[in-house]
Amino acid sequence: MAERAPIARSPISPAPPVTVEYGWEISARRTSADLRIMDCTPLVKILVRASIDGGVARALEVPFGRAACDERGVLVVGSGPGEWLLLAPPGAGTETVRRVEEVRDREIVSILDVTHGRALVRISGEEAVDLLAKVCGIDFSDEVTPDGTAFRSSVAKLTTDVVRDDQDGVRSYLLHCERSFGQYLFDSLHDAGDEFGIEIEGFAGSKALSQPG
Amino acid sequence: MRSATVQTRMPMRLGPQPGEVIDRHRPFTFTWNGERYPAFAGDTIISALAASGERVFSRSFKYHRPRGLLTASFLDPGCVVQVNDEPNVRGSHRRVEPGMIVSAQNAWPSLRFDAKSVNRFLGRFLPPGFYYKTFIKPQRLWPAYEKVLQRFAAGGRTFPDSPHGYYDKRYAHPDIVVAGGGPAGMAAAVAAAEAGARVILVEEEYELGGHLRWGSEDELGALRELRDEVARTPGIEVLTNSVVNGRYDGNWVAILQRNLPHVEERLIKARAKVLVVAPGLIERPYVFRGNDLPGVILSTAARRLINLFAVKPGERAVVLTANADGDAAVADLERAGVEVARVEDARRGGDIIGARGRNGVRMVECGDGSRVECDLLVTATGWTAPTSLLNMAGDRPVYNPTAARFFPSRPSDDVLATGGISGDGSLDELLAHARATGQEAARRALKVGSALRAGVPRRVDVEEPPDMPPIEIPELPVVEHPELFQGRTDGIVDFSEDISSKDIVAAAKEGYDSVELMKRYTTATMGPTQGKLETVNAVAILARATGKTIEETGTTVWRPPYAPITLGALAGRNFEPVRYSPMQPWHERHGANPMVAGAWIRPEHYGDPESEARNVRENVGLIDVTPLGKLDLRGPDVPKLLNLLYVNQWNTLEVGKVRYGVMCAEDGVVLDDGVTGRLGPEHYLMTTTTSGAATVWEWIESWLQTEHPDWQVHVTPVTDAYASINIAGPKSRELLLRVAGDVDLSPEAFPYMNVRTGTVAGVEGCFMWRIGFTGELSYEVHVPAAYGLYVWEKLMDRGADLGVKPFGIQAQRILRLEKGHLIVGQDTDGLTGAYSAGLSWAIKLYKEDFIGKPELSWQSECDNSFQLVGLQPHDGSVVPPEASQIVEGENEIAGRITSSCMSPTLGRSICLGFVAPHLAEPGTSVTVLLPNGERTTARVMEYLAHFDPKGERQRG
Amino acid sequence: MILIPCPWCGPRNVSEFRYADEAKVRPDPNATTPERWRTYLYMRDNPAGWTTEKWFHRAGCRRYFTLERDTVSNAVRAAEASREV
Repeated sequence: MAERAPIARSPISPAPPVTVEYGWEISARRTSADLRIMDCTPLVKILVRASIDGGVARALEVPFGRAACDERGVLVVGSGPGEWLLLAPPGAGTETVRRVEEVRDREIVSILDVTHGRALVRISGEEAVDLLAKVCGIDFSDEVTPDGTAFRSSVAKLTTDVVRDDQDGVRSYLLHCERSFGQYLFDSLHDAGDEFGIEIEGFAGSKALSQPG
Repeated sequence: MRSATVQTRMPMRLGPQPGEVIDRHRPFTFTWNGERYPAFAGDTIISALAASGERVFSRSFKYHRPRGLLTASFLDPGCVVQVNDEPNVRGSHRRVEPGMIVSAQNAWPSLRFDAKSVNRFLGRFLPPGFYYKTFIKPQRLWPAYEKVLQRFAAGGRTFPDSPHGYYDKRYAHPDIVVAGGGPAGMAAAVAAAEAGARVILVEEEYELGGHLRWGSEDELGALRELRDEVARTPGIEVLTNSVVNGRYDGNWVAILQRNLPHVEERLIKARAKVLVVAPGLIERPYVFRGNDLPGVILSTAARRLINLFAVKPGERAVVLTANADGDAAVADLERAGVEVARVEDARRGGDIIGARGRNGVRMVECGDGSRVECDLLVTATGWTAPTSLLNMAGDRPVYNPTAARFFPSRPSDDVLATGGISGDGSLDELLAHARATGQEAARRALKVGSALRAGVPRRVDVEEPPDMPPIEIPELPVVEHPELFQGRTDGIVDFSEDISSKDIVAAAKEGYDSVELMKRYTTATMGPTQGKLETVNAVAILARATGKTIEETGTTVWRPPYAPITLGALAGRNFEPVRYSPMQPWHERHGANPMVAGAWIRPEHYGDPESEARNVRENVGLIDVTPLGKLDLRGPDVPKLLNLLYVNQWNTLEVGKVRYGVMCAEDGVVLDDGVTGRLGPEHYLMTTTTSGAATVWEWIESWLQTEHPDWQVHVTPVTDAYASINIAGPKSRELLLRVAGDVDLSPEAFPYMNVRTGTVAGVEGCFMWRIGFTGELSYEVHVPAAYGLYVWEKLMDRGADLGVKPFGIQAQRILRLEKGHLIVGQDTDGLTGAYSAGLSWAIKLYKEDFIGKPELSWQSECDNSFQLVGLQPHDGSVVPPEASQIVEGENEIAGRITSSCMSPTLGRSICLGFVAPHLAEPGTSVTVLLPNGERTTARVMEYLAHFDPKGERQRG
Repeated sequence: MILIPCPWCGPRNVSEFRYADEAKVRPDPNATTPERWRTYLYMRDNPAGWTTEKWFHRAGCRRYFTLERDTVSNAVRAAEASREV
């Protein structure tokens, strides 16, 4: 009797219908609503710690406070001073770690796969800015937080990493917190978006991250 | 013709008025004190009632005198009513709705016959300070006093089962908030937006326009033009029926927004770069005998009623006027068909001595002593500048006797004032002042915005606008106005609190002669109008009573909130982050009793904690310990860090080994404990207590960042990254063997206090620690969190025949107490030193440095603090509750019980506790004082552990 | 709600930070006296006016930094990162 492969689960309970893809139990729900919320927890999340101006910093090219997609479709987020978060499609973890290992010089570098340690949610739609104004004290206007901005702040009283990552010209934000708070963050955002008609969209690898280009 | 029938029932309703806000095509009915009344859409509750000829809307706070309409605005003190289940609704502001059920407050049993109006005749027994002086002694009567006072207290009824409603908050980052949507506020907002600023324009009433709305044809024309400008200028967000409620440090501006369809009230927390204060002026009542009778109204009230609501305020009027607005009121009244029987012009010596009547004005005694019969007395005696928001920014308004009102005195960088609060002048002069203020506000705001953005390091470059020279704001003229506060007789000063001019004079005589003391003693200005109607009169009367000028007397300080705010708006939505383990769905399906531990929700037990504990001793149990703090430590200097943080020695820990460690603070008090394992040459995993996880991480970062920035260490919290499962009991190895893939679990290959990395149930990258809090053979397995539920279910499934069962926190607490393991925070407190907690074996004073070393080395030389010991009551059926005192002689405290339980394994009660050093010898008998006052005795044990003190089971 | 100028993240609401004591120097633990050590532990200047403080950007970059603050007016200035990474 062959053992079935272990099933990975997000801390956010999936909205029905539920299916298993990429080894993760996910929601297969689709929506055409203008404002959407997607649980993107199955994305690979690699945390890199290195000196702020060493070889790793130069290779990753993204400074603290900014985020950019590299040529392989990995979203590199400058998430803290000397700290980067790499978001990649499911299954791309080993490859992503290897590439960072290659560029390290003699500095001390920590590479941690925090795929399991964090929850990741994407909110898309022009009204995302009104939703976020209800839960976060940061100014979400284009002058202060343009596309490609990354910061950490308090969202619904929870310390959360926020990345503005517009998709096809539509306003979009990734929000990222410690895994155990995932359901709370998701519920808080969903409730805040209720007045704008927010709907849940199941995880789709192709929509969770922008395509390189 | 439904509308025609309704209109005939509104005898005071006038024909169409040019500026009216009612919609005559939308008539409906509502209920007032049990009877149906007609109204038009756009009416306020009070305007609709006034159209039907009603004049009495409440009873006054103390003396239960009948009260009517006074201001016809939000402030109207006699028009506070109950609407459905909502108390204290401002009836002259709230728009009436079809089917609304409105009733009078503070009237018992009814508005027309009020039993409490006997207070009117008892007036001389209710002097200022009455409540302070009377209801003091004897103390045993306080509950009775409370009941009496409650019945006589003003206010509506609350209903505990009212639906909560959706209350909300949001943040905003405007360049400019304009407080006040009158002509000045509108012009300032337009000018600021045209200069490139993003503006929030906030108006307390339902539409923009301020006093222009009840003005002349020309003024209505100017209003239409201003409204058009606001509407077509991009960058202005207009909030009506909303109010700027406070200004705090850093121009943090609280805006209460009431105009939303789906939200009861929303509190906007706006970080304004500049605040423009344009609230206009509030008309001041005049103090004389009978000034609170229904039918005595302000000139602005008369003009609002006629021009906004097409309501005739009375049939025959006397007008006291001291200014152009009073003159305009005379013209409005005449146009509305009110007979103006007498105009007393205060600029030419006219005055009012008193008004008489029972439930409304019947006759007025004029300045020359003549008496005029009338049902309406209109006064126009001057203005109060509502400088609240300027006060909150540090301004102290100064009295100007020429204009008979207070003016702002201290200009500020981020708060500007415009409109009537800044001066007088023609509409054109006011608008010019407002436009210049708006432009200057925009100039300053854009500069502040640039500076804020420049403060964010390493952001992408945005081209910032160049600095502009300051805009010159023209001075507004100050128009002469007679100083009119109190006439020749006494009357009501504070209409909400029922405070008369006599009360203020009495307070001054009793020595409460400063304005702040008078305010607190009499409660004048402390009621629902919060001084906006009565402050200047109160100050003027106090000044006269003390023989000082108004300038010398000064004014009270206005504080937030500007307008009343519901607790719902202050609370907003509930943001209380909660944390769940990956196994939470399983716990819920299996009847776990949830327990809140910090932000975590954990299973306290699954029904029977004692049998859960027994199963661990006999078979094997699983406990979800995911909340255990976990920190990933990497780098060559980790041993240095561990030696600094822990009191014990860390240089010699080999790869694959784990060690228990104790952390102290700089004062030698136990801070946290846990085990740390070495996973690789430069890779360690530290565990902390659940409650200490966040604190310890911040603590470590503090030491690394500020004391040892040169150390090569990275600390990363990974608490949530792993689902942590403790497999405990004699059959734990057998269970783990069935799922462990590549790790040799034999006692020789994987002994006690070791750590291994491998595959569990097909999941790679798991850590297994051989440690135990329960005292049994046990493995703590840390699984990548997304697979936690999968692995837990596998263990439950594969261990069914071994008797595997889950156990909760309560069973774990029993097991650890049997084993004598202390819990930091339960068996220690904020004063417990490491020696006192029995940890002397861990403290290595020979180390170069560690946190708390000096304090601990002094403690090691002379420590006479209490000692942590194991205790067993002689009567094994008695479980002394935690925190029971240990006493000597006559209740002299000699220790306390820190943990206690009935041990299912030993079948008797067991404890941990602190005892004085001379009682710490094993075998000593101590006395425990139980909460019921009885005493019991307990024996001091040789070990902290009550069960298996040599630790043979966990090493097996 | 004052703004704290975080040297890493820029100006943020004070609610994102934890006040982490007056800036002070830890005595050499091997050469200190009880008086000096307990002054370090318990005594604070607490001036009415400018003071140098340690703050922790808890909900942001998680960096400790020093800041000068006027305890009377709440004005803040010149935050220096306490560690160059």
